Amino acid sequence: MAIVRPEMKSYIWLQTTDGSIQEVEEEVAMFCPMICREVLQTGMGSSKNYAIKLPQRVNPAVLGLILDYCRFHQLPGHSNKELKTYDEKFIRLDTKNLCELTSAADSLQLRPLVDLTSRALARIIEGKTPEEIRETFHLPDDLTEEEKLEPLRNMTDDPRIRLLNRLYARKRKELKEREKVKNVEVAEEHMDKRSVDDLLSFINGGDGDSKCVRSAKNKKKNRRRKDQPRNSASNNDNENREKETESLNSAHYNGAVEDVSSSNRALMLQDSSSATLLSNLDFDDADIDDGLDPALKEEIDREVEDFARRLNSVWPERMQEIYALGQERRLLQIHGNSSVARYTGKRNGSSMNVAHLFYRKLILIVFL
Amino acid sequence: MAYSFPEEVLEYVLSFIKTDKDRNAVSLVCKSWYEIERWCRRRVFIGNCYAVNPRIMIRRFPEIRSVEIKGKPHFADFNLVPEGWGGYFHPWVVAMARAYPMLEEIRLKRMVVSDDCLEMIAKSFKNFRVLVMSSCEGFSTDGLACIAANCRNLRELDLRESEVEDLSGHWLSHFPDTCTSLESLNIACLGSEVCFSALERLVSRCPNLRKLQLNRTVPLEKLPNLLIRAPELVEFGTGAYSAELRPELLSNLVNAFAGCKKLKALSGFWDVVPAYIPAIYPVCCGLTSLNLSYANIQSPDIIKLVSQCQNLQRLWVLDYIEDSGLDVLATCCKKLEELRVFPSDPYDVEPNVSLTEQGLVSVSEGCPKLQSVLYFCRRMSNAALFTIAKNSPNLIRFRLCIIEARAPDYLTYEPLDAGFGAIVENCRELRRLSLSGFLTDRVFEYIGKHAKKLEMLSIAFAGQGDLGLHHVLSGCDSLRKLEIRDCPFGDKALLANAAKLETMRSLWMSSCPVSYGACKLLGQKLRRVNVEVIDERGTPESRPDSCHIEKLYIYRTLSGPRVDTPDFIWTMDEEGNTPQ
Repeated sequence: MAIVRPEMKSYIWLQTTDGSIQEVEEEVAMFCPMICREVLQTGMGSSKNYAIKLPQRVNPAVLGLILDYCRFHQLPGHSNKELKTYDEKFIRLDTKNLCELTSAADSLQLRPLVDLTSRALARIIEGKTPEEIRETFHLPDDLTEEEKLEPLRNMTDDPRIRLLNRLYARKRKELKEREKVKNVEVAEEHMDKRSVDDLLSFINGGDGDSKCVRSAKNKKKNRRRKDQPRNSASNNDNENREKETESLNSAHYNGAVEDVSSSNRALMLQDSSSATLLSNLDFDDADIDDGLDPALKEEIDREVEDFARRLNSVWPERMQEIYALGQERRLLQIHGNSSVARYTGKRNGSSMNVAHLFYRKLILIVFL
Repeated sequence: MAYSFPEEVLEYVLSFIKTDKDRNAVSLVCKSWYEIERWCRRRVFIGNCYAVNPRIMIRRFPEIRSVEIKGKPHFADFNLVPEGWGGYFHPWVVAMARAYPMLEEIRLKRMVVSDDCLEMIAKSFKNFRVLVMSSCEGFSTDGLACIAANCRNLRELDLRESEVEDLSGHWLSHFPDTCTSLESLNIACLGSEVCFSALERLVSRCPNLRKLQLNRTVPLEKLPNLLIRAPELVEFGTGAYSAELRPELLSNLVNAFAGCKKLKALSGFWDVVPAYIPAIYPVCCGLTSLNLSYANIQSPDIIKLVSQCQNLQRLWVLDYIEDSGLDVLATCCKKLEELRVFPSDPYDVEPNVSLTEQGLVSVSEGCPKLQSVLYFCRRMSNAALFTIAKNSPNLIRFRLCIIEARAPDYLTYEPLDAGFGAIVENCRELRRLSLSGFLTDRVFEYIGKHAKKLEMLSIAFAGQGDLGLHHVLSGCDSLRKLEIRDCPFGDKALLANAAKLETMRSLWMSSCPVSYGACKLLGQKLRRVNVEVIDERGTPESRPDSCHIEKLYIYRTLSGPRVDTPDFIWTMDEEGNTPQ
């Protein structure tokens, strides 16, 4: 039973978690469903001693805001426009207050205010990067690199999945090592800012200057090789070493590619142990066989280095090359006959409708 | 101290965050947000069906209601992807039938969908509402009948551009009389005649029908009957737009179209008889989208039509429109945002219509909101491209298709490098670019330097060597999809930029001098990336490592090598072993 005051106004007593108690006009307080329920079901709130204990998330400051909201909204006669204007002004708070307000409104079950503040929070979040969101809401950066990369968990006994897990383990190890050296930037994970030289050494397997590391690794590989039986004469190891079904003879270096002779395999094997450049491809596991013909690898490495050198060279020489080529004008047939035949042959049975549709797509063979 | 709020509150806040980009950002904020986000994510988009597998998707997002999946690479549209390549929807639907009984929406593009899949959709998801299959194949009208018969709350059935085995038009009759929920029906790609009375009844009993695209077999005479039963239509696609000249038909059509007060988009228009075009004049001023890409009408008729569509935002048309028609378009349609001009006769070396680069220049001059261009023509000049670039700095998509491969600037015989360079330099928001004409490595230098927001690049018959590809891979920061055919790009640029491939959705290269050896190297070096060699000549192991492969498809993935590859695809092993 509310105390009736001379002004004919009723008040409800509310207590916040810090212990402080205040009285609030009845119609304003009852606008909050939680308070309304408390009053009706338990009869609390009629006096200071029986003040309604508000949920933990409602501190005095935020209670004040909420009551302002209720005071305005419970009054009849506001136009929709007035309400909207009020709301827009009301939520112009800093993020901290907005979060507190949302939590408090939720605990008081004040749906319209929860809606209003939630939408405001969503607008704050939209368009931001994870880093920015973390900053805005003072949230911890507690996802591990692993979780951000979404590793595959072993759901089946598929050997390929096991292989991938092994590779992930290696990657995790790499990341842990990097962690010790410096902080890893998540945002940079997908941006490759390495120079061409760095990329080349990445391909060549080094972490720094490729030449130095290469020689060091050579020594390492050679030492390992001493422990393994020499295979130049042994046929048993052929399967392990050389998975290629063909090899290239020295004619390869002159550009003759098509000729393949398996009798050259033994020749290649004899050379392989002394080809220290093989260690360009760096793998810690000794049992991994890259299966690439060593001579070709050497050629590729050489070409990549040459390419890198050209990239860093002066542009004008290239320009001259290009303009020399540019003077020729080549007229070419615009469609591939085989594709047309394949398509129209297949489509003989279908209706004109579909044929027309794919006719359009056919012509796009050349261009896009 | 974190600004925290309870889980339910965060969930409610997240319900207002809809775009994939924002949701992905939210999930990477911290552990608790990751967890909350994944439980309340309702919609997922998978740009490459082999980048992830159903298990992973279901494990991470247990409460999905809407799924969008894309399969084959874009170049499948041009027959560059062999038959049987893959992109099967079957494993997805099997997994989702178990895990997502409440699934409502499925959107697929370039995937293989069997009748079994359609049956499973029809029978597994009680609340199923939306099925969109864009450029899909593998199913027949029997599958459609199953969908029609069983999906009680079906709202959208959209078969755009799919290849359907058309057994009969009878499937439409399988919609039960109780079905009144249909809002969108697109059967334009079907060949056989549908039962018209069934169609009419269906349209009559669906009061919310907003989109209806008919197929070619629906005759013009029947259109008035349909239109008066569907006054809420916003998008309408006609069937064949031809009939004998009868005045009462014309007036019926006029009245019928006029009755559709909300009509904003028109398409269809096969076999047009020009005398009937005036029937749509009443709706022209409200139209925002007009698709005349099947309409064999000539420039004067197109001009008359287009000049009445002041609110047009999107126009797809054949090159019959000619430069003169594009001039009119530029004058009348100031709100134009997207223009696609398709070639009517691409195989003829001589032009059959008077459509040149001038038309596009006019449109760029007259239409300040122009954002998206797909333009087929027979000649182009650097000067024209400079002008277009200057006039339309807000371009987002620019796809230029000069019909003759390697055609240079027709005025100066120079390469078109400078012109395309101007495009990428001025159009800072460019997200998609297709190149054509005679191009050297220079154009790629410009692209690498300026096209920082470019996400998709299509290259054919261009460049001089590896340097070109290197510029693109090292310079285009936002690149997601790169597709290349018949260009002299080889191993070096790929190997030097291998790490870039981990940041992209996919790379397609066909008829380029990439060696098998380089592919194997890439396979070893790249983690979480599938390097797939496509070669219909038999195993690449039977040829030297230096031999060039036919086609190469490289894409990042969380689900390891494909388990459903056909016999002409070899996935490069990460251990360097001989692929099976």
